[in-house]
Amino acid sequence: MIAPVLYLIRKEFLQIFRDHAMRGIIFVVPLIQLMIFSYAVTTDLKDIRIAILDNDKTIASRNLISALVESDYFKLVSTAPNPKHLRHNLLTSDADVTLWIPLGFSEDLATGNGAQVALNVDGSNSSIALRALGYTEAVVRLQAMKSLESFIQASITIPSNQTPSTNWDLQDEDQIATSPRIVPQIMNPRLIEPVMRFFYNPTLESRYYMIPGILVLLITLISAFLTGMAVVKEKELGTLEQLMVSPLTPAQLIAGKTIPFVVLAYFELAVATTFAILWFKLPLVGSIPLLALCALVYLLVTLGVGLLVSTISNTQQQAMFTVWFFLIFGILMSGFFFPIENMPVIIQKITVINPLRYFIEIIRGIFLRGATFDDVLPNLLPMLVIGLVIFSAAIMRFRKRTK
Amino acid sequence: MKRILAIARKEFLHILRDPRSLAVSILMPLMMVLLYGFAIDMDLKNIRVGVLDFNRSAESRSFINEMVSSGFIVESARLSNRKEIEPGFRQNKYRAVIIFPADFSLSLVKDPVTQIQIILDGADGTSAATVANYLNAVTSRINLSYAKEDFGLDILPIETRTRVLFNPELRSAHFIVPGLAALIMMMICALLTSIAIAREKETGTMEQILTTPVVAPQVIIGKIFPYMVIAALDATLIFLVGKFVFGVPMNGSWFALAGYSLIFILIALSLGLLISSVAKTQQVALIAALMITLLPTLLLSGFIFPIASMPAVLQYVSRVIPATYYLEIIRGIILKGVNWYPRMGGILTGMSLFLIILAIKRFKTRLD
Amino acid sequence: MASLEQNTDNTAVLIQNLTRKFGKFVAVDNINLTVSRGEIFGFLGANGAGKTTAIRMLCGILRSSGGNAWVAGIDINKKPELVKRKIGYMSQKFSLYNDLTISENLTFYGGIYGLKRKVISQRSRDLLDRLKLVGFRNRMTGALPLGYKQRLALGCSVLHRPRVLFLDEPTGGVDPVARREFWDLIYELSDQGTTIFVTTHYMDEAEYCNRVSIMDQGRIIALGKPTELKQEHNVKTMQEVFFDVVQPVIT
Ligand SMILES: Nc1ncnc2c1ncn2[C@@H]1O[C@H](COP(=O)(O)OP(=O)(O)O)[C@@H](O)[C@H]1O
Ligand SMILES: [Mg+2]
Repeated sequence: MIAPVLYLIRKEFLQIFRDHAMRGIIFVVPLIQLMIFSYAVTTDLKDIRIAILDNDKTIASRNLISALVESDYFKLVSTAPNPKHLRHNLLTSDADVTLWIPLGFSEDLATGNGAQVALNVDGSNSSIALRALGYTEAVVRLQAMKSLESFIQASITIPSNQTPSTNWDLQDEDQIATSPRIVPQIMNPRLIEPVMRFFYNPTLESRYYMIPGILVLLITLISAFLTGMAVVKEKELGTLEQLMVSPLTPAQLIAGKTIPFVVLAYFELAVATTFAILWFKLPLVGSIPLLALCALVYLLVTLGVGLLVSTISNTQQQAMFTVWFFLIFGILMSGFFFPIENMPVIIQKITVINPLRYFIEIIRGIFLRGATFDDVLPNLLPMLVIGLVIFSAAIMRFRKRTK
Repeated sequence: MKRILAIARKEFLHILRDPRSLAVSILMPLMMVLLYGFAIDMDLKNIRVGVLDFNRSAESRSFINEMVSSGFIVESARLSNRKEIEPGFRQNKYRAVIIFPADFSLSLVKDPVTQIQIILDGADGTSAATVANYLNAVTSRINLSYAKEDFGLDILPIETRTRVLFNPELRSAHFIVPGLAALIMMMICALLTSIAIAREKETGTMEQILTTPVVAPQVIIGKIFPYMVIAALDATLIFLVGKFVFGVPMNGSWFALAGYSLIFILIALSLGLLISSVAKTQQVALIAALMITLLPTLLLSGFIFPIASMPAVLQYVSRVIPATYYLEIIRGIILKGVNWYPRMGGILTGMSLFLIILAIKRFKTRLD
Repeated sequence: MASLEQNTDNTAVLIQNLTRKFGKFVAVDNINLTVSRGEIFGFLGANGAGKTTAIRMLCGILRSSGGNAWVAGIDINKKPELVKRKIGYMSQKFSLYNDLTISENLTFYGGIYGLKRKVISQRSRDLLDRLKLVGFRNRMTGALPLGYKQRLALGCSVLHRPRVLFLDEPTGGVDPVARREFWDLIYELSDQGTTIFVTTHYMDEAEYCNRVSIMDQGRIIALGKPTELKQEHNVKTMQEVFFDVVQPVIT
């Protein structure tokens, strides 16, 4: 019962390892992909090119400029002589953002008349534009809040012995007793200061978020593509017919065709994960066995897709195109590049049947947030259902052909 | 010429006979542009924020109301103690939790500065930064309204007059559609042509063709032509959908758009054929096409990921990727109305000539 | 060159010391042959003898490692592209487009040889008639029985009326009746002045040839008219001649 399957598996491995293009595809290409992807797929915005026109030329205006340029986000590319020039900078794509500080800026600031600056953004690349806009406004707002504070402080005198009283420890007992204050207040400014704290990835490295997604892509490619191709290739060559006239049962055939790719996919996942951890310092907070279990459920899906496609394709070209077709949509609707919650409701509903979506979410959770079995269950269950449906459909079609 | 036509005609028949290639070449681009036009939105909306309010006062409530009224933030969970915070993050229930201390309202009237704590899920670093930015802005707005009530200040000391040029509403579709055009053209051209020669090698028909008097340029041009028609059709379709479905403006000239697009298509086709004439099997050809044309176009051209944020090496790589130039050109034409790109146009033309010549040179009229 | 010009009148293929090596392995070893115009020349040999390799060199799609050959008076080493105008080739592996119909395949090859549209349709009609394929002209090639496919392949390779026709195992895997019909076509072509250079495994087919050569391990080890060869070896059939000359391979 088992022995014939072992022969099948052995044959599959022999074929894979003998073909040097295939060896490259399995062992070299994924690592190169991981490298390039991981370096390229960074959504952190650095070096936004800003062109500035400073008509005010005062300490206040220079403060604002240096606040911008000294933040990591901006790179000053030109100091324009006039507003027309600023516009030209945007038109020729020499700058992403332009800032114009008009004459009288510091005066308005000092008198509290509301100083104005003009910020223009090139909207033609809206992903850059959005964030550039956010960053610039954040820096300007920070400057504004500083002035507001000093403005308020100037208009009233506050006792100097006051410091913020709250202690922000997580172990903190839930009800914080208020320590009575001695100093009476005549006029206290109401000023809220948010204290931000980032869990899991304090440096906000966007790469950490992308790499687990890349791992998913890699094992998807290996398992779905190669299974589909391996079966169709045998069909093209006529060897599948040969196997089908042998006493092998369909179950044995399917096992023999899929197990090698399960092994390869696990191998791939292990190598790529190790590499990501050592090279990119990707944290793996959660448990490895849980990761392996979820990967197994996911492989049920991808191998099922590969098999199913092979039953409806007669040539390798057809198989590749079909897998490719589904993969493109699967990837882009998975939340890998674009958050699903930003999508229109209808499309969000469609993504419910996208197995990639669940696995990407699971793998990100395990890697970065240390998600436990209970945490991943809401994603694991739908993925399991999809996997079972696809895999049984594949087996049913496969059997039909053998009879 | 007759020979080129014979090859082109035959190639057309191949495409028409295989419904799946036809679907890949016409239907998929259409579906992609429709789906992505609708689905891709760079702007974070509906940011889920959890609230842990130990204070439960009118002040904390008004903060929450102000926060939610901006429309970008939704209160997705109300927590009752700190132990609930972490599991919520792990189950991805919210992107941030905002914590009001028990003495929030008291401190507000008593202390010069009142702190609230915001804990963010840093796993998605980019979104986390944006969320932090939104929450900061909300806080500023509230502070300003306090300042107005308390001191009669009614504007922020510095006010930014923001204008977004070329895409005032920052509609993602306006920038996604040109990018998709480049991506799809690359995909159709490279994937379809990459196997166009390799397939004939595998099935043995190439041997038959080689014994006829056709020469390399005839084979290459004959094979380029049909795919050029398909790619041009796709491009037209994409730009029309962009204009009439997504309202992408057309500020430049259609003529310039068509001109630069044809050059780009030519590059993509020659690249595909070059791969095809070098590769021995379809499998290798397709994977090479994916690696050499598609992924770089998707990842390194500035389509989604800003080139300026990449490491220096990859920035250099992006400069040899045709799509980098093409993208900048067509975004310029469509959104900025600038039609003339002597330098980048020159680079693209040079690339296309180089690749065609290389494809012809590498196409061997012998088996060895 | 002088000898070449003299020979163009009645020599279709002239092979001098032609050699092809794959690495160290010598697939075609110093062969010499002359085939006259209008002749049906049988190029026999066991599997792996080097027949296909030799034909590919003669068709200008494989470089020779040594020696030279002229096909229809043209030097295959110097002007391989010119050779292709004068020849027709039918490969040992069926290599027409399965997803084109019969007439589309014919039109394609006619076009590739630079024939005018009118000429193509006229000759296609003629050919389909002679190949008994008229009723199938709009059938998908991939769905045809092998015998039909091979007749079509022959049709495609003679549409441009080549001077020399190279047929590499044209009847492999076809039933005896179909083979017989195929050879009728070959005779017809030969009567019209086409030189036929054909390889085959079937020794009964060898009897149909004007002259044959037998190749073994890259070398030509017998050459002559079938009758002469049979006399020489004192046997009744070409089959026996073949068994006589081809040594069992000792490894
Ligand atoms: N491209 C090649 N590379 C290496 N060896 C080859 C190649 N083509 C043919 N051969 C070898 O040359 C020999 C002759 O092959 P071939 O000409 O196809 O024989 P035939 O057509 O007589 O059966 C065989 O041993 C074959 O293995
Ligand atoms: Mg042979």
